[in-house]
Amino acid sequence: MALLALLSACATPTPAPPKSGASELEAVPFFPQAQYQCGPAALATVLVHSGVATTPAALVPQVYLPGRQGSLQLELMAAARRAGRIAYTLDTTAQALLAELEAGHPVLVMQNLGLESAPRWHYAVVIGYQPEQQRVVLRSGTQYRKLESWRAFMGSWARAEFWGLVIPPPGELPASSTADAIGPYLAGQEGQLDPAILRAAWEKALARWPQDPDLMFATANARRSAAEPESAAALYRRLLLQAPEHMPARNNFADLLLSTGCRRAAATIIGPAVSVAQRLSPAARDAIISTSAAIANHLSRPSPDPEYCRALIQGLS
Amino acid sequence: MMKTRLFILLQIFTLVIASTVGTAQAAVIGTADHFAQQSRADQLIHINALFAKDAVAQHMADMGVNAEDVLARINALSDAELQQLAQNLDDLPAGSGILGVLGALFVVLLVLELLGLSNVFSKL
Repeated sequence: MALLALLSACATPTPAPPKSGASELEAVPFFPQAQYQCGPAALATVLVHSGVATTPAALVPQVYLPGRQGSLQLELMAAARRAGRIAYTLDTTAQALLAELEAGHPVLVMQNLGLESAPRWHYAVVIGYQPEQQRVVLRSGTQYRKLESWRAFMGSWARAEFWGLVIPPPGELPASSTADAIGPYLAGQEGQLDPAILRAAWEKALARWPQDPDLMFATANARRSAAEPESAAALYRRLLLQAPEHMPARNNFADLLLSTGCRRAAATIIGPAVSVAQRLSPAARDAIISTSAAIANHLSRPSPDPEYCRALIQGLS
Repeated sequence: MMKTRLFILLQIFTLVIASTVGTAQAAVIGTADHFAQQSRADQLIHINALFAKDAVAQHMADMGVNAEDVLARINALSDAELQQLAQNLDDLPAGSGILGVLGALFVVLLVLELLGLSNVFSKL
């Protein structure tokens, strides 16, 4: 009994194998890896599944580091961006893994096939789970359909800190993402990705969490950048009706109104932001000062706003 | 109505005067800025990224990546990612795969064999 306790004290705690969630994404392609190049092979597997035309050979110059005889996680994510896809790191739970499989998303995982003190890092793609046999199905190395026991897989995955990537087709989000995590994550991709791809992701996130103020803000910004001022204005208005204290939204909405010729409407919207500008972040403060100055400049002309302006800010003050 | 408008205008002018020093700012608040809560930390990252870029490029070239690929790979990384690579390029886990494991195992076995410590291959 004491020995048993000792043994279990040394073992890495493995979450129990889930009882349900049978899946196997048979359509996921397979690229057997060349020596040291499981990174390009695993990345090609998920990229091709998401609709990108590529091969491991084409990815080698993008992700393989000869001096390390391997590929870094960050570079896999960067290569996904170069292919016009967003790579989402997975929430590190078994539930998230199964949720992605159920949503049709293969999961690129890092495994440590060695020891913690002598690691052997490996990338593979999880494509299925068999609850009855308690096995995970992978595209791995040179094996088209590798079966690993839940215990062995979770052990090797745990030694790689449960790192996993999902690369869904454009406009799809990982099944396991949350509103709190998705906003900062997508915002961090700004400037790294084609705005149209990012915009599709923001729209999808807003559709999933329609009440989230920051997702509304970001989506409205993306719509405006895509030269869709009307749908952007409607969303800024919806956001301010729900959260009148969202000062960055007031600023950007006022700027949009000014550019569409609604200077008095713009002054109405920016007003509350001006009085609290000094308490905001430097970026927000400077923008509000700049916007309000532009509005003040235009207000010196006495003509009223065009008729359509009133509807744009209806219900707001 | 007129009073509040005047009040707003007055505030606007005060702010404008208070901020006449400095460069022209974009009037729109970017999504990335909005989500980056500590804008000062972000600026620091940006400044350091300029140094990080050179360091990572040099390091990648030393590791055998050819010059054209280095440039494309550096450009695909965000400032924060560059920083992380600049500090840890030698230590971050690099997935190499199963063949690497077998290769290492093979070398160990071969050495043992040559030293006469094992006879794994004698039956082949």
